[in-house]
Amino acid sequence: MNNGSARIATAIVTYGFVGLMAFLSIFPFVWMLLGATNSSIDIIKGKMLPGSALATNIATFFTQVNAPLVFWNSAKIAILATALTLAVSSLAGYGFEMFRSRHRDRIYSALLLTMMIPFAALMIPLFIMMGKAGLINTHLAVVLPTIGSAFIVFYFRQCTKAFPSELRDAAKVDGLKEWQIFLYIYVPVMRSTYAAAFIIVFMTAWNNYLWPLIVLQSNETKTITLVVSSLASAYYPDYGVVMVGTILATLPTLAVFFFMQRQFVQGMLGSVK
Amino acid sequence: MSELQLSDVRKSYGNFEVIKGVDLDIKTGEFVVFVGPSGCGKSTLLRMIAGLEEITSGDLTIDDERMNDVDPSKRGIAMVFQSYALYPHMTVRENMGFALRFAGVPKAEIEQRVGEAAIILELGPLLDRKPKQLSGGQRQRVAIGRAIVRHPKIFLFDEPLSNLDAELRVHMRIEIARLHKKLATTIVYVTHDQVEAMTLADKIVVMRNGVVEQVGSPLDLYDDPANLFVAGFIGSPKMNFLKGIVDAGGTQVRLPDFGNATIPVAIKGATPGSSVTIGIRPEHFGDSGSASLDLTIDMLEHLGGETFAYARHGDGELIIIETKNGRGLKSGDSIAARFDPAAVLVFDADGRRLR
Repeated sequence: MNNGSARIATAIVTYGFVGLMAFLSIFPFVWMLLGATNSSIDIIKGKMLPGSALATNIATFFTQVNAPLVFWNSAKIAILATALTLAVSSLAGYGFEMFRSRHRDRIYSALLLTMMIPFAALMIPLFIMMGKAGLINTHLAVVLPTIGSAFIVFYFRQCTKAFPSELRDAAKVDGLKEWQIFLYIYVPVMRSTYAAAFIIVFMTAWNNYLWPLIVLQSNETKTITLVVSSLASAYYPDYGVVMVGTILATLPTLAVFFFMQRQFVQGMLGSVK
Repeated sequence: MSELQLSDVRKSYGNFEVIKGVDLDIKTGEFVVFVGPSGCGKSTLLRMIAGLEEITSGDLTIDDERMNDVDPSKRGIAMVFQSYALYPHMTVRENMGFALRFAGVPKAEIEQRVGEAAIILELGPLLDRKPKQLSGGQRQRVAIGRAIVRHPKIFLFDEPLSNLDAELRVHMRIEIARLHKKLATTIVYVTHDQVEAMTLADKIVVMRNGVVEQVGSPLDLYDDPANLFVAGFIGSPKMNFLKGIVDAGGTQVRLPDFGNATIPVAIKGATPGSSVTIGIRPEHFGDSGSASLDLTIDMLEHLGGETFAYARHGDGELIIIETKNGRGLKSGDSIAARFDPAAVLVFDADGRRLR
């Protein structure tokens, strides 16, 4: 086989593999879009063409679901959790990298070890804690356990390694206190890191299902993920309506990723320019 | 009055002492250069003056006021860093005015001071650019401008030219010298480049392993080094060092590696038979002089104006000879390198200068 044929064969294999992966990624999304236009029966039959039931499905969804309330609940939780997680975790990451102490690495290792504890093992103690604090059935109960994210602390610390220490020195000579260095120098310089962390945390908080399912017990406090799930678990689920709900639930995370993808990539590659 | 004074200043990290008792007086308006090899403690000492490193013991005073525990911003210093340390999210104007903004200086005064510094450093057209839109030299000028606007009593420069290419380094060196002349402010400057030290300094502080080896004017250090280390560090190309033995009368040094050539040098207090090292600068070799070494040229470097000849006696160590008349020389030529014994420096076995 000459060089030209080998190159073509390699290209076929590569593009074939990439195409297959792309198809596997996109198929559920396409199926969701097509499903929203079809009736439940057509979806069950496996119809893979656009249908005419979109308007009916949307109308049914908005009749069955108090959409403004559940979206507001989800948005409130996601935004609050994201803001607090970024604030706390970036401070922790900055602190772990900037301040030397004999115990620093031990505490950091202990923090990383907490990532190995499955959430299922934490649910009951957390529920008891929230109960004692009187927070069951409040959005704060969903937000609080997500704030101290070991992964995001780890992410910020690793990114802080690229933050030039001379900037901190220059700021000290310029008269800034440590909190001012953090606020006026670190945060703007690390904005791509924050953007990437924002996307990760926002998507996790928006899509959070298990813990809200446990602590949010009244209809007034439920989030979009819980409501869509309850639509799907009805005795006779209307899959067309479920698909409409799923699309609507996906839109905010899609929008966040779409508008911040450049910063996300920069943040993942190392944000200090 | 001494503006900056260090008295037995020490710095330790745990049990490891990196600055081992430095005493130094720097007078108002002086340009002082800390020079030494990597790891000698020169940058650490500068950072201690700036307040970025704690002083383990000893006293740092500026204008007779003890500064050991004073915040960096209140010491009356401004610092220029090796990597420029410009805030990447701010424009040149914002970078230069940032410290003043935090010090509560009125906006109009900030504008005025930034404008003045921009004129001095020719930064006017760049004021609204971000650091990433500037060249290395321009960034360095902004970093200097940021220091100037604070009207400090002392400028601290931490290897400010290391990140620039050779041509720009020469240009910026001249700019800094001009700036010092214009502002007449005290400058403490750290570099490992002895050419920078020689050309800029009023006073050079040569450091090694956290200890000040010698303090003096550039030419004093060049002509009259206190020890082997300073003699070798100051001067480019480096001083030649030859191993020798003091003869019975103590008036000559014999060089066993150079065919037992003898050099008539009077050394006070030298024990006959003791080992010494003699130092001869490359430019001290020539066609005249009462002493000579028989050498064979190994390699030549023609720089146009002068030639560096690398020669040796037999299989001995390389000797560097600097000559203005070297264009006719060839590798393999045998030469008698003559020199005046009065130009020879003698060091004892511990590297101390014998006079």
